[in-house]
Amino acid sequence: MVLVPHLIALGLYALAAALALAPFAGLRPAPRALGLGVPLLGLAAHVIGVARLTSFLGVAPTLSMLALFLVALQAASEGLFRASAVGVFTGPLATGLLGLALLIGLAPEAPPASGRGAWSILHITVSVFGLAMLALAFIAAALYLLQFRELKAKRFGPVFRLFPPLERLDQLNHLSLVLGFPTVTLGVLLGFGVRYAGGASVDAAQVVWGMLTWVVLGWAVGVRVVRHWAGRRAAFASIASFAAVLLVYVALKLAAPGTQRFL
Amino acid sequence: MSITVLGVNHRTAPLEVRERFAHEPREVPASLARVLAAGARGGVLLSTCNRTEFYLAEPDEAVPDAVWAILSERLGGGRSASDYGYTRRDRDAVRHLYRVSAGLDAMILGESQIQGQVRDAWETSKAQAGPVLHRLFQSALLVGARVRSETGLATGAASAPSAAVAVAARIFTRLAGRSALILGAGDMAELAATCLASEGVRVTLVANRTYERARAIAEQLGARALTLDEAWEHFTHADIVLTSTAAPHAVVTWDRVAPAVARRQGRPLCILDLGMPRDVEPAVAQLENVFLYDIDDLQAVAAQAAAERRDDIPAAERIVGEEVERFWAWYGGLVVVPVLKEFRERLDQVRAAELERALRRLSHLSPDDRGEIEHFSHTLLNKFLHQPTIALKEAAQAGRGYGMLEALKRLFGLERRDDP
Repeated sequence: MVLVPHLIALGLYALAAALALAPFAGLRPAPRALGLGVPLLGLAAHVIGVARLTSFLGVAPTLSMLALFLVALQAASEGLFRASAVGVFTGPLATGLLGLALLIGLAPEAPPASGRGAWSILHITVSVFGLAMLALAFIAAALYLLQFRELKAKRFGPVFRLFPPLERLDQLNHLSLVLGFPTVTLGVLLGFGVRYAGGASVDAAQVVWGMLTWVVLGWAVGVRVVRHWAGRRAAFASIASFAAVLLVYVALKLAAPGTQRFL
Repeated sequence: MSITVLGVNHRTAPLEVRERFAHEPREVPASLARVLAAGARGGVLLSTCNRTEFYLAEPDEAVPDAVWAILSERLGGGRSASDYGYTRRDRDAVRHLYRVSAGLDAMILGESQIQGQVRDAWETSKAQAGPVLHRLFQSALLVGARVRSETGLATGAASAPSAAVAVAARIFTRLAGRSALILGAGDMAELAATCLASEGVRVTLVANRTYERARAIAEQLGARALTLDEAWEHFTHADIVLTSTAAPHAVVTWDRVAPAVARRQGRPLCILDLGMPRDVEPAVAQLENVFLYDIDDLQAVAAQAAAERRDDIPAAERIVGEEVERFWAWYGGLVVVPVLKEFRERLDQVRAAELERALRRLSHLSPDDRGEIEHFSHTLLNKFLHQPTIALKEAAQAGRGYGMLEALKRLFGLERRDDP
């Protein structure tokens, strides 16, 4: 019974995305309780679905987990930062990711090898969570740049009214980047644990490009923390680093296609 | 019984007239005492910069003259305040207060400050309000809150100063604790500074061409005074700059502020140019992380919010209408019992007097027959009163009792006052 909770979650995520986008179509914004409650209900259903997965290996379970973490971070952003506009991005993204996971199929594609199951689960969970935080940093940066442009151009439309203040978006970007980078680093280290514990094969290209991406991410965090970049420059750095992650992922997938591994 | 409001507001009187009618809280009891002495059972005086209104319970005919006399004395020059005034009675008076409290009668549609002013007026007049006005003002505050929570009438910033706050709030996470620099001594800048201060912004510096004028305003706002030439370096630290000088050309230029802005390390700076002509050179907006808005921009924000609020007028009016009926049902029920009692007593007196006269003429009747006639008179009176009593009680429950009671009082000469 993996499918039913996932389908319920998909429906609720789609509804949450519609609620987040409705004000941009000229409709009244949904009450805060509804805007927060619908994705949280979807999240609850999704957690039940993910808990019933027999294996986390493969693209589909990873996409499902990524969608789950994105929605969880969206709810946290709304609760802590009153950044409901994050849902404008995370809503459709989580819906799309979960829909794609269901299309690919959530059935286990490779049985968990004995001795490395726990490492694998930890590695995948931590890495995907780190990736979700980097995605949140990217979303906050994109929202920042949109709001910045509207404020500079003196356009007082839906973006001006519905997006959070610039400073708050900058803080959200900062926090998710600063927490996301160590999380991704921990995920990488756990990946080494998986390799040495169970002897999982990792291509040299994966290691080289993975390290390069890690360096780019480290640069984006470094300019924020060490050189105190803020605002637009920091937003561009954050977007560039996340774009590097996506580009490397797509490049590696094209070079070595297959659905057995997420990366 | 009746409820009446007499007053002036921004629609009926210009500012220079309205400001003469404005009462300080300490002046309210004396003015109300004069009105109550003219014959009213309760009064509340609502006095703001946009309106001065006397709400009165059961005013006698002499009361309006007393109210206009008080206001005319303040007006001076032999002019009559009633030329600027209006009167609303009964349901219309209740509706008027509810609309005021909801912000429907405000200069800026939906503004929320009036809610606090209605509360203050009620608090100040509590000792003289009486039970009916006490209930009326209590319900007016609930109506205002209901309209604001159930409609979008209070959303957005519908005035230029409040638009200034709204724009700044889209840049900074929290306005409380931010520092503001004011350039110039214009009224609009002072008003916007007050709006910002009410959000917790600290006005730390006031700069003006003449130092003395800067010092006068700085003292009012608890800030430090500067000359204009000393102000430019403070563009490094201030979060918000409000300008409203009387200069005929831009005083805030790229050359003067760019070096200070460059030292801000990317922190945003919000410049609100309320001067006419503009005080800030448009090129300043090109500086990184500088957000410049002039009076036209702020008015555009305000106009947008006002237009959005107008869509909510029908919903707000519907709530007001519902609440007026609810209050009127309570009020009708309040007055029906004593009037019915008096009506019954009056008719019973007539019955008793006529019975006595008839029995004097019919002295030959036996005691049993006399008793029978007396019983007949009671029964007849009760039969006559049954239908009007039922109809009045039903009308009161439906909120239509007041008109019927007035008719009854006039038809049967029931002029006795009863406490609600």
